[in-house]
Amino acid sequence: MTAPAPQLQLRLFASLREAAGWGERPWPLQPDDTPAQIWAALGLPAALGSVRVAINQRFAAADTPLHPGDELAFLPPISGG
Amino acid sequence: MTSPAGSTPQLSIGLSATPFAPLQRLEAWQQQLARQGLIAAAESLFIGRVRPVAGDGSTLAALELEHYPGMTEQQLQSLAADCAARHGVLAVLVQHRVGRLAPGEPIVLVAIAADRRGPAQRCGQELLEALKHDAPFWKREWRTDGGSTWLTGNTPR
Repeated sequence: MTAPAPQLQLRLFASLREAAGWGERPWPLQPDDTPAQIWAALGLPAALGSVRVAINQRFAAADTPLHPGDELAFLPPISGG
Repeated sequence: MTSPAGSTPQLSIGLSATPFAPLQRLEAWQQQLARQGLIAAAESLFIGRVRPVAGDGSTLAALELEHYPGMTEQQLQSLAADCAARHGVLAVLVQHRVGRLAPGEPIVLVAIAADRRGPAQRCGQELLEALKHDAPFWKREWRTDGGSTWLTGNTPR
């Protein structure tokens, strides 16, 4: 039996979710993948500089190393309160 | 500034998917503090409501608030704890709506109990700004023609 391919859970919200047509899906994790590389692979119509990254529900830098099982989210500009 | 010696600020953080009554929530919080013997000489209060006009000046039919369940609660807790510790206040109340809201409905209630008016007001203002920028909420304006727009920022102070 081979080990399952490493993957993470990818999440998008609000305008990004609608642009992509999905809000949550598993994503194969390549060695040395960073949020910035995954963002580029998604090909969404927004610059990385306009979104914020969260790993396991905490804000993180776009070059943070990722691990199998991580929950990676891309957050469009926040408007709370 | 840090918290008064020997006390940890009381944090009451809540999200609701249905309308809430800010004054009833405030009163319940005040009674809870009184039961704990916590007497605050100063209290600041902010209630935010849905504006009846969309960003483009048209009539607003509804405001939708999406959030990141789990992260939202953690961020509110963490922002409130940081702000409370920075200003040395006694207690913080945050109640925030999610879901679909009608014009005039309350979106957010922030109340601060402290020993002095300065920390109470400064902490309230800072926490409100922090949750507008650092808690994962997204607003979408629904117009009367059925169209909608995701907001990409906050209104000016």
